[in-house]
Amino acid sequence: MRLDATRRDLLRGLTALGVGAGFGAGLGAGFGAGPAFAQDFDWKKYAGTKIGILMTGDENDHRALADLLPEFFEQTGIEMEITSPALGALIEKTLQNLQAEQSSYELINYLGFLTTQQVGAGYFEQLNKWIEDPAHTPAEWDFADFLPPAMANVGTFDMASGTVGEGSDVFGIPGLHSGSVIYFYRKDLFEAKGLKPATTWDEFRAAAEALHSDEVAGCSFIGANDFSLAAVDWFTRFITTGGKLMDGSPKTKDFMPRITSAEAVGALQMMIDLLPYAPENVTRYGFAENVDGFSTGKIAQMVFWSTIAGPIFNEENSLVADKTGTGKVPAAPGQVARAIQGGWGVGIPANADPAKKDAAWLALLWVTSKRYNDYAMETYQIDASRISTYENPDLVAKLPYLPDSLSASMTAEAIATSHVPEFFQLNDIMNVEFNAALLGTQDAAAACAKVQSQWEDVLRKGGHLA
Amino acid sequence: MTEALAAPRSHFGRPENTRRTLVLFLGPCVLYLLIFAIYPLVHSLRLSFTDLTAAAGTGRFVGLENYRFLFSDPQFWNAAMNSAIMVGLGVTIQVVAGVALAMFFNLNLRGAWIVRGILILPMLMTPIVVGVMWRALLNPDWGLVDWAITSIGLSPPDWLGSVRMAIVTLVLVDSWQWTPFVFMIVFARLQALPQDVFEAAEVDGAGPWTTFRRITLPMLMPAIVFAAVFRAVDAFRAFDLIYGLSYGGPARGTTTLAFFAFQNGFQFQNYGYAAAVAYAMLIVLAVGTTVLFRFLSLRRGLT
Repeated sequence: MRLDATRRDLLRGLTALGVGAGFGAGLGAGFGAGPAFAQDFDWKKYAGTKIGILMTGDENDHRALADLLPEFFEQTGIEMEITSPALGALIEKTLQNLQAEQSSYELINYLGFLTTQQVGAGYFEQLNKWIEDPAHTPAEWDFADFLPPAMANVGTFDMASGTVGEGSDVFGIPGLHSGSVIYFYRKDLFEAKGLKPATTWDEFRAAAEALHSDEVAGCSFIGANDFSLAAVDWFTRFITTGGKLMDGSPKTKDFMPRITSAEAVGALQMMIDLLPYAPENVTRYGFAENVDGFSTGKIAQMVFWSTIAGPIFNEENSLVADKTGTGKVPAAPGQVARAIQGGWGVGIPANADPAKKDAAWLALLWVTSKRYNDYAMETYQIDASRISTYENPDLVAKLPYLPDSLSASMTAEAIATSHVPEFFQLNDIMNVEFNAALLGTQDAAAACAKVQSQWEDVLRKGGHLA
Repeated sequence: MTEALAAPRSHFGRPENTRRTLVLFLGPCVLYLLIFAIYPLVHSLRLSFTDLTAAAGTGRFVGLENYRFLFSDPQFWNAAMNSAIMVGLGVTIQVVAGVALAMFFNLNLRGAWIVRGILILPMLMTPIVVGVMWRALLNPDWGLVDWAITSIGLSPPDWLGSVRMAIVTLVLVDSWQWTPFVFMIVFARLQALPQDVFEAAEVDGAGPWTTFRRITLPMLMPAIVFAAVFRAVDAFRAFDLIYGLSYGGPARGTTTLAFFAFQNGFQFQNYGYAAAVAYAMLIVLAVGTTVLFRFLSLRRGLT
């Protein structure tokens, strides 16, 4: 009992200190060392139970989990069935299940951007009672090992204020992957020109100009009407030049966008100014085009989701595996290098079969374990949700970008619009208008003004702005 | 007299047997329609009068609010314009090219049957595959089409990268897939036309152009209108081709009404608004097809 109280007190104490669900790695190490009962933990206590997990099929998580299912079954005796549709269908299916009398799935994987929509609506079971009970949670699971920003993004939720990342009530566990954005550059090209990797946006632009040639674009970014245009390229530039996306709060109905601010227009203008040094068709470049372009040696530098480091450092798929360096994203002088918090959470639907909830928790422990995270990172280079995976010496030797990924993950910032269910609609509006600006049909100020106006309409319609 | 006033006997025996037979034969069809056609229609109509979103599990009745918002939403009108271009330009190209191909193959040139067989292959493919395939072919960095154009010294257009060009590209890809459909319908009709009319025209000294304009085309008109109506309805509802080819972009350059409804329903989870868009489409389609089929009947009467 004393241990339980300590865990809850720790959570509350850290929250009061303003770190949300942040339990530092150092604190966590002691926390996770745990008492000896962990060795006696009965993994087989729910053997014979059959549970289902609904998870994303857009990334490789479902493959990693499928690989490990025989091992999971052998250790727990629980039969797990994976359903893994693409994102659109996943959201639809998730909501159908969460709103049904009884969910068909005992575990559901939700996108961090939808935490407010799905967790905030009260659809997920509070997990503290399991986390704090040594009979249900072995110490080696090491709760404190999860990335604090990831936990704040998908795990903790204060129902009273409707705020994600606040309070000590846990409704989801980070998984099956997390991640943020890092800087990729061609070491050979930079060295040949006597340049250092960019740490500021001015240096980024100067390097783009210096390195641009007919064969290699000086830089690249997501220029297509794509989710990551706003979320990765614009948002990274925006927050690292001092931008603040929203004022107020949805709860107080004064959630006002700041898209016409100097930083917002400046971040878009920065991308427009890079067009001469970007690939000719960058306005059509989405995720795949940039990964292909960089891997085939046609791009000198870019900021991108750290999850692409795997394929880029894989010599079988990449022509630049031994020529690529990584680092923190550039930032304006005096600003902290940081980017958007990505990743997913896993939770137990409140309307799941009550008889299976304990088994579901056991399965949740397993799919968010160090074993799963290490395996997914090693085999598929899926960005882990656990600090220990990024610090695993064997993995670091094999995947040298991991320290940069960890650094990015530890400083990642949840995008403020994920606090409202209209997140995807707001993101789409921004992508469309910014794409049009990159295509030259409007300037940066006009694009930002249009986004501001449309966002205000959407937020008013949603009741988040009076 | 009493016997005469008695209920007529049906082929199936007594009246109660007739009712039983009706229930037996029509019942499954009616049940099927009720479950799979009427109920979804009524349900989505009800949805269109609510503000149902994913966040609010139970939609509040908002009357005609979604429809009012829809008609003042510039994105809706942008999508409506793109749908109109897709239908107007696309169907025109497909009808002209389909009729031309039918006339050409009606010449019964040697080996034409082989070409005819190959010609209809595109329409056997699913539109999503066609979209993805053409997106690859038109890729400006490594696409076959741009490579071919560049290798003969020309500069390829920005097929899917320019807002204005993208909708044209969409129409062209749609036409590539569905012109063979128009061709097949028109060609079948052409093969069935009575030859004596053409012989009489020849005797009267009518040239090829006059024969085509005064005889062939009017007699083909029912087939052409049928194919055009069918294609117009299909093009108006087109979604999967856009999903695979351009995903509604660049900007909102290829967002049609069907794609707009999909985005609102399945990306933004604005179910009420998406249902209103879908109903607006249904009304346009119902009115449009009724008018066009009236035209088809009129032409039948004339021919």
